[in-house]
This record gives sequence, C-alpha cells and structure tokens, in this order.
Amino acid sequence: MDKIYEIVAAPRTGRTLVLLVVLFPFLAALFVSLFGKRGRRVALLLALVHLGLAVSVAAIASMHLGTRDELSAGRGTDHAKFEPAMVPGARVGDDGRTAWTLMSLTATPPSAGRAGPFVQFFVGVDGLNLWLVALTSFMVVPAILVSWESVTERRGAFYAWLFVLQGAAVGAFLSFDVILFYVFFELTLVPAFFLIGRWGPGSARRDAARKFFLYTLAGSLLTLVGVVGVVVTNPDPTTGQITFSLPDLMANVQHWLNAAQAEAAAGKPEKLAALHQTQLWLFVALMAGFMVKTPIFPFHTWLPSAYGEAPIGVTVLLSAVLAKLGTFGILRFVLTLTPDAAVAYGLPVVGTLAAFGIVYAALCAYAQKDMKQMAAYSSVSHLGFVVLAVFAFNTEGVAGSVLHMVNHGLSTGAVFALLAFLADRYRTTSMTQYGGLMGRFPNFAVLAFVLCLASVGLPGLNNFVSEMLMLGGLFRADAPKNHHYALAGIAAFSIFLSSWYIMTMLQRVFFSPPKEPPADAPGAAPPGDVNSRELIAFGSLAALCLVLGVYPQPVLDTMRADVRIVTRIGDDARVRVYGEPKPTKVLVAAEPNNGKQDR
Amino acid sequence: MSDPITLALVAMSLPLVACVLATVLALRKGPAAKFAHVPLVLACGTAAVLGIVVLTKVAAADSQNHRFISDPMTWFAAGHLKVSFQIVVDPISAVMLAMVTFISTWIALFASGYMHGEKGYARFFAVMSLFVFSMCGLILANNFLLLVAFWEGVGVCSYLLVGYYFEKPSAAAAARKAFLVTRLGDVGFILGIFLLWKMGGWNTSLTALFDYLTKTPPDHYELTAACLLLFCGAVGKSAQFPLYVWLPDAMEGPTPVSALIHAATMVTAGVYLLARCAPLFAMCPEAQITVAWVGGITAILAAFIGLAQHDLKRVLAYSTVSQLGYMFMALGTGGAISPVFAVTAAMFHLFTHAFFKALLFLSAGSVMHAMGGVIDMRRFGGLRKLLPVTHLTFLCGAASLAALPLFSGFWSKDMVLESLEFAAEGEKYTGGYFVLLLVGLVTAFMTAFYTFRAYLLTFWGPERIPEEAGHHAHESPARMTVPLMVLAVGAVAVGIAIEPFNHKFSHFLNDAPTLQQAFAASKAPEPPPHKFNWTLAGVGTAASLFGLSLALVMYRNGTEKLPALVEPVFAASRNKLYVDEIYGAAFVKPGGVLAFLSAAFDGFLDAVARLISAVPRVLGWWVRPVQNGLVQFYALSMALGLTVLLSFVAFRIAR
Repeated sequence: MDKIYEIVAAPRTGRTLVLLVVLFPFLAALFVSLFGKRGRRVALLLALVHLGLAVSVAAIASMHLGTRDELSAGRGTDHAKFEPAMVPGARVGDDGRTAWTLMSLTATPPSAGRAGPFVQFFVGVDGLNLWLVALTSFMVVPAILVSWESVTERRGAFYAWLFVLQGAAVGAFLSFDVILFYVFFELTLVPAFFLIGRWGPGSARRDAARKFFLYTLAGSLLTLVGVVGVVVTNPDPTTGQITFSLPDLMANVQHWLNAAQAEAAAGKPEKLAALHQTQLWLFVALMAGFMVKTPIFPFHTWLPSAYGEAPIGVTVLLSAVLAKLGTFGILRFVLTLTPDAAVAYGLPVVGTLAAFGIVYAALCAYAQKDMKQMAAYSSVSHLGFVVLAVFAFNTEGVAGSVLHMVNHGLSTGAVFALLAFLADRYRTTSMTQYGGLMGRFPNFAVLAFVLCLASVGLPGLNNFVSEMLMLGGLFRADAPKNHHYALAGIAAFSIFLSSWYIMTMLQRVFFSPPKEPPADAPGAAPPGDVNSRELIAFGSLAALCLVLGVYPQPVLDTMRADVRIVTRIGDDARVRVYGEPKPTKVLVAAEPNNGKQDR
Repeated sequence: MSDPITLALVAMSLPLVACVLATVLALRKGPAAKFAHVPLVLACGTAAVLGIVVLTKVAAADSQNHRFISDPMTWFAAGHLKVSFQIVVDPISAVMLAMVTFISTWIALFASGYMHGEKGYARFFAVMSLFVFSMCGLILANNFLLLVAFWEGVGVCSYLLVGYYFEKPSAAAAARKAFLVTRLGDVGFILGIFLLWKMGGWNTSLTALFDYLTKTPPDHYELTAACLLLFCGAVGKSAQFPLYVWLPDAMEGPTPVSALIHAATMVTAGVYLLARCAPLFAMCPEAQITVAWVGGITAILAAFIGLAQHDLKRVLAYSTVSQLGYMFMALGTGGAISPVFAVTAAMFHLFTHAFFKALLFLSAGSVMHAMGGVIDMRRFGGLRKLLPVTHLTFLCGAASLAALPLFSGFWSKDMVLESLEFAAEGEKYTGGYFVLLLVGLVTAFMTAFYTFRAYLLTFWGPERIPEEAGHHAHESPARMTVPLMVLAVGAVAVGIAIEPFNHKFSHFLNDAPTLQQAFAASKAPEPPPHKFNWTLAGVGTAASLFGLSLALVMYRNGTEKLPALVEPVFAASRNKLYVDEIYGAAFVKPGGVLAFLSAAFDGFLDAVARLISAVPRVLGWWVRPVQNGLVQFYALSMALGLTVLLSFVAFRIAR
C-alpha cells in the first residue's frame, strides 16, 4: 500500500491537498460574500468542492496511515511523538516537519530539522485528525441544505461566516504547532459569534452569542496560559531552546519526566515531585478551555442558550464540529503535554465530573419541552462519555473516543438537522405542539427514526461501535481502587438514559394521536413530506451512520498507529505515577492478541 | 455449499432480503404493497426447510464434531477489543433456528390474512422480516457483542411492531415501555459482557470465552457477578420479575406480533442466552439459585395475575411470563444437577411452548378478527359454533398449556419439575429447590385454571357477539386457519413424538459441546439413567386436573360469577397486584421529578455564571468611571494570569 501511496500520490500532491483543505474555506468565504440572493447555490457548490478535497485527502492519507506499524511508536527512544504526514512546506526527505515559519522569536534564522522558538504554519494529517477533518468538511453540506429556506437575510454574508467557521475548525484539527492551533481555536469564536448574534431566529440571540463568546474565551485564555507554560518549562534538552512544535514539545516533556523518573529511581524523588506539581497546574490551565468548549459539567451553561438561539444550520456545525474541538484538544494536547497529571487527575477528578454530567444532562434533557434544548443537553451528556474514554488513556478508550467524536458529530448534527424540517414548516420545535407525525410525514419519520436510533446507540448504526470501544477502554483503565468500574457503570447506564429521553420524544412527536401546530399562513397548502433537498441532507447522514455502524474498521485501521503513540505516553505516565504495573495472568494471556492476526 | 454454516447463513439472510423487498414496497406505496407478505412467507418457508436440513446435518455429524464455527470476519477491533462476525451451529442453535423459522412461516402466513387491508401492511411485513433476520442472527451469533447487536435489533423491531397502531396512545406508551424496560436489563448485560471480556483473556467470542474460563477459572465472585449481570439482560428480554411489566402491555401490537415476538421467539432469547452460557453458570451455584428463584417468583406471580384478567390476550401474556419463569427454574438447577439435563428441560419446554403459545395467540387473533377487534372476554362468549376451527385449535393449545397428560406441554413441564426434584435431592440449596418444586406445582394448578377459564368464557355459554364484529363474525379464511391447524398438530404431538419414548431431543442436545463443557465445569454428579417418574407426573397431573375441574365448576355457564369469598383475591389479581402503580410511584415519577429538579438547578447554575460574569462589569464600573465593556478586562486578566502563573512556575522550577 505504501508503494501505491508513493506512486499515486506523489508526496507533493498530498501536501498541496492538505494546504487547500485548510485554505479553501477562507477563499470560499471571500468568494461567496460577493453574492447576495444566489449565495446559497454557490455556497453549496463550494462546500461540495471542499468535500471532494477532503475525501481525496482521506483516500490518500488512509492508504499511507493504514500501513504504519503500531508497535514502532517511538520504539528505541525514550519518547513517542506524533508523526504528521502530508505536511505542506516540508522539505524532501523530512516529511514530518515544515519550513514555513510565521514568526520567529530569535534572530538566528531557523534551519531545517532543528527545533527552535518559531511559530510555524505546521499542519498535517494523522490518524487522529483525518476523520474529524472529513467530518467538518461533510457536515457543512447538510448545514447549508437545512439553512436553504430559513436564512433569507444577507445570505452571502451568512455562508461566508459559515465557511470561516469551517476553515477555522479544519485548521485547528490539522495544526501541529501549539500557537497555530490556539489561533485557529480562537478564530472559531468570531464566526460563531456573528452567526448566532445576527442570524439567530429568537429574541435572546444577542445575549446568547455574547455569553457563548465570553464564556469560551475566558476558558481558552487560561488554556493559552497553560500552553505557554508548557512551552516555557520544557525547553530542548540539548540546545535549551523552547519550541512551539507539538511533536518536539511532546519529546521534551517526556524527556524531562523520564530524567526526573531516573533520578527518583536513584533515590532522589524531589525533582519528579516538583515536576508533577507543575504538571498539575499546567493540566488545570490547559483543561480550562477544553472543559468549557466540550463542555463538561458545570461549565456547560453557555451551551443550551447558544444551541437554542443559533440558526439550525449553525447549531448543526456547533454540535457536530465545534464541540469536538474540546475533546480533541484534550486528546491532542492535554494527554500528551501533561501525561502524568492526566493519569493522576484525569479519571478521578475530570472523569467524575464528566460522569456526573452524563447523568445530570440526561435528566435535564428529559425535562425539556423544546426538542432543540433536549438535543443540546443530550449532546452534553454524550460528550461526557467521550471525556471519560479519553482519560481512560488506553487503546480501546482513545480509539473509541476518536471514532465517537466522528460518530457523535454525525448523529447529533443529524438530530439538529431533522429539527430544521419542523422549524421550516411550523416555526416551532416545541414537543407539546406535535403528535402522530409518523402518519403525517411517513418518509420523514423513517429518516428520523434511523437517526434517532443511531443517537441512542442502536447496534448496526454508528454510535454503538464507538460506545462499546469506549466502555472497553473504561473497563481496562488502570485506576487504583477500581474507581473506573463505577465510571464504566455510569457510562453504560447513559446508554439507557439516552434512550429514555429520545424514546419519550419519539412517543410524543411521532406516535400518539395526530397533532400539528397551525400552519404559517392561513389558507396555505398543508406542508408536505421531505422534499429532495431534505432527502439528500437526511438521507446522506443516515447512510453514513449505517456504513460506519456496519463497517467501521477502515477508520479504526488508519488511526491505529497514532492511537498507539498516545497510549504509549499513557503507559509511561502510569509507571511514573503508580509505579511498575504488577504483571497479571490476564495481561500475559493477552499478548498474542496484539498483532495484526484475525483479519 | 451444503455445509451447515453456509446453509445457516443463507437461512439467516433470506429474511433480510425479504425486508429489503418489503421496504421497497412500503416506500413505493403502489397497489403492489398488498403483496408485501410474499417475500417474508417465501423467505421464512425456505429458511425453515434449510433449518431442518441443518438440524439433520448436525445430528448426522460424527460424534466428535457437533459444532461448526464460521471463519471470523472483523466487525471492529482496537487494542484488546476484537469483535468479529462469526456464527456457530451446534445442537442448541440448530434447534432454535429450525423452530424459529418454522413457526415464523406459519405466523407470517396467518398475518397475511389477519393484517389484510390494514394501512401499514407493507410496513408491517418489512419490520417483521427484519425481526426474523435479527432473531436468526441472535441465535447463530458466536460473539457476545454481535449477539447484543441482534438482541437490540429484535428489541427495536418489537418496539416498532408494538407501536404499529401508533396513533393509539396506549400503543405508543406500550412501545416505549417495552423498549425502555428491556434496555434497562441490557445495561447489565453489556456490563456483564465487559466483565467477562476482562476476566476471559480479552475474548468476546462465546466459544473462546468458555474455553478460556473453564480452563483457567477466574475469581469466583467476579464470575458470579458477571453471570448475574448477564442474567439482568435475560430478565429484561424474557420478561422476568422485576422487569416483566412490559410484556402484558406489549399486547397492544397486532396479534401475530404477540404470537411471534412476545410468545414464541424473542422473549425466549433470555432462556436461550442462559442455555448458551451454561458453562459459566454451571460454575456459580449462587447465580444459579438466584436464576431459579427469579424464575419461581415470576412463574407464580404472573400465574396469579393471569387468573382474573378480562382481556384474552393479557391472560395469554401473563401465561407466557409465567411459563418463561418455568424455563428459568429449570435452568437454575444446572450445577446442582447435571447442566445437560437442566438445559435440556428448559429448552424442551421452550420448544413445546413455542408451538402451543403461538397457537393460542393466533387462535385469540382469529377470535379478535371475527369480533372486530374486541378482545375483552366479558363482551363475547359461546363462540364454539361460530368459530369451529378456532375453537378446536384453541382447545388443543389450552390442553397443552394446562399440561394435560400426553399433550406436548405435559412432557416438557414434567421434565422441568423433574429437574427441580433432582436438585432438591442434591447437595446445595436443597430446601430452596424443594420450595421451588412446590411453586412449580402450585403454578401448574393455576395455569390449568386460568387457561380453561379463558377457554370457557370465550367458547361456552350462550352466544354473545359485540356490535363491532359486524359482518366479520364468521370463521377466518383458510390462510389463517391452516396455520392454526398446523400449529395445533404441533401442540398436541410434537412433545410425545420427540422425547418421552425415544429421547431424541435430549440425545440431540446432549451432544452439544457447550453442554458437555458445562457438565465438566460443574461439580454435579452424573445423572441417573433416565426413567419416567410416575409419582411426580402423577402429582403434576393432579394439580392440572384440579385446576381444570375448578374452572369447569366455576365457569360452566361461560360467564364469570364470583363467590364473595374469592372476590378480593380476584380483585388483587385483576389489578395486577398494583405492580405498575408501585413502579410508577417508586421509579417513574421520581425520575420525572429528578429531571425537573435538574433542569431547575441548571437555571440556577446559569444564574451563578451570569453573576460571575457580572463581576468584571461591576469592577470595571468601579475602577473606571467610563465603562468600556468586557473584552479589555479579559485581556487584562489574561496578562495578569500569565504573569502570576509563570512566576509561580518559575518559582517552583527554580527551587
């Protein structure tokens, strides 16, 4: 396969494509803003072009990533670090490092292959971000389709901001420079702020937009503090220079931790203790932004109002993509830059909050009368599960959580998109207004059932696979006092809770005696079943849910090597925090399972 | 092409093809929709033939190899969690496959008449095909998570079919209840699977797990916990106490659905699961006695509630719950006695029960069809002349359910009681098993009573027909009566044909490798050579006949006139012992209140966040006379925070 990759996609093509995937949305935004009324057609076309770009990146990259050897992650060195592929600006023979420097903090010009204090345009693809980028690219299409009728005012500007949002999210997923990531991460706030504040259908939209902006900004500024803290405290061991490149930073972090560990083994534990203390504070700072963004209880209160007040097309993107920036940030930065604190405090503290949030948000979701609010709380509840699995910090947990970010993006985005069907026809998403829609809109009902059942984790549809992997990760997590079993129990219970509120909603809205709100204009023809535009939007989502539910292995295969990089860091951190693991009978018996057999 | 695996795979995928075809018909909404039953009937019929071929092939296999396992195909795998699509054909699954496809064929045929002219005709057959596919998958799956997949698949089909008349509020509520209550059990099931995965060398394949765990016995308490968690799933799916409440409500679905899903196939999935997992349960006597007790409590409780129901289908529903309890009682003896015998007893009762209960439901459906949808026994009576075929087939089913001698139900119930009797003579928990034997006998008495009460109220006494019946009040067409007659033959004769004299059924199951494995893992003694226990059969028959004669005395007129003495007992039974009300007050209401409180608390949290965000506003107003807004404050706080943190960090490092 790697040969084919070399031949079919000369590395240069791949790099160009990756660069285009990041920059194209911004160009598209400029272009679409020139159009007024006809902006929506242009926007759809541009979104499809971007989808084509993303799919070709995914196709080329998965050929390459699938062949990486998972066992070679950082073998022979004392560290594991990410190995981005298809990096634009990379020199020949040095695929994983870019030469495009945006800003240098030193007078000496950067030379190839050497870490230094420069902020670089360092983007690339690996198994962890590839499918999230594909998701971001894909979800814009239904987002545009469901905004087709409902957005009438200043269409060009609306779609332009939508593309900026997409571009910023793609950039954040692809970044391997911590400062570049931070810039993209914050950049998502600006378009979201305007989209909610200007195009929201309700009267409270400005308030919601402001709350969203300030709340997330407050959190992410602390994250910036954490990022800078990590950079400053982890200089290169040989040159003593700081670096903003994530792979180099990871190597440095592990180097200092391992050095302290060696000293501790020699009977001088002070340095390791001090490093752990530092890690704790950096962990708290880094987590602040991601906890708000994800969100994790109790930092979620911006979410119901933002999701509720945003136009539905924007809510689709917010829930499907932006929420993933939080969990992805934890995975990409918190686990790798403060691994010891993530082991020591991840599951016990953040995990407990997340588990509480799962139950709490599910209860809140059940109590909602408005379907949009219900879906918003359900998103909080589901993401708590992802946070738990990320902090399980093992192969099943990390792989499951990455897959679940994609799956949850699809299904939650889809649930919001479905609401557009009702909002377009009746201007309300209140549950009490509807009943018996299965008889009224049979085709819509079929699609809605498939997508709702996907979101409650019905096997054969996508979420089941990732939920099982995440549960497996929680069962395998090595935490003292078997705390993780309680968390696994709550996580499994969340599968029941989600069906509790979703089934109640389905009973009220799709079953029960027929009831519908008064049509918009008196005397107008009664609204019809799904039209072809909606059929494409919901149908493609439902089809993807089915495909990923039945045949998820290609996605899991591409991320195997990169998941191993993360878990190797976790394994090392566990040794530093808890000491050498006791070799158990089960672990020995499991060894033969490690390889690639059985496929 | 003719190995059992391929045949089983073909048999399994035929209903899926039928589902696709029926879905196409359902979506096109043309006149072709009225042929939507054809794919299902053909698929099930072919599958049933294949199922029987598989059965003979497994039986004919040489004595060392009664198990066929397909090559695994990875569904998903990461780290130690590997889940493959893999099926297993062994005596247990072969029996189930043949039985399920055979019964489905006749029920599908019956349904084509029963559902004739209904609005969602094609939708009905699409979902039913999907159900048969999922059920076959559940039976054949050799991987726990694959099993869960089909397990949930049958659950969702059941949900959609119970809610078939979705505009009826009671049907909508029943559908949701069925899905949620079974899913509650599934939480335990999934946790149990993961516990086994952790203990069992990271295997998810059933056969690999059993091999691993029987060779390297894990911690006893952990294994018991895992078994009990698995049992939670069975309790939900097979409607056992305390999660049985969904099944009677599920009668809101069309009657063929009740016959197929809620009597003959899906609800027996829990029994099947425990039969499959016999090697694990055989190692945990504590789990086994729990299983037996849950079965016993359910059997007697449901039989009691069934005594006084007015709704014919509900009588049958409670009877199903109660009979499933019997099967769990038998399963629960495995370990105390040879698991081979325990599982055989349970599976035999499952097998005969599928015939006579499907028959009873379909006969009730035929009554309902003729009565224009009325199923309340107070509103009709004396139908034996009007519906001669239905009357006779119902009588066959009733006799079998009441375990009258020589009928199918008699032999299987006798075997269940026998397993309890053996267990009561064993070593551990003998008292418990003896009490359960008495429970079984009392339940047998009540079963005969309520069955014949229902029979007499429906078919004897003066002829009464509700006005809803209209021109429907005549015997059903042939495509409904032929299935009735076929199943009636089964209800009468299948028991005597395969077990009491030639022991074909038990010899066949005896060869199942998992059962042999279970026997080896248990500490049970070798079972004594099988001989008919006249005392036990006599006592059992006496209990049945006593119930039968009491019903005859009380309902000989075909109407219910209760003596004042038993009225309070019947009132308690009629009100289902208020279990639904108790659950409502203990769980459903508090859940709603908790949800409301959480939502209210969320408003409070939001207020706190707003208060905090107001602090900078107040500070800004206080610090500067001119209020410039908030963004500056955050910039300031950022700089401050950075300084403070960096100096702190620098301090820590420098130390």
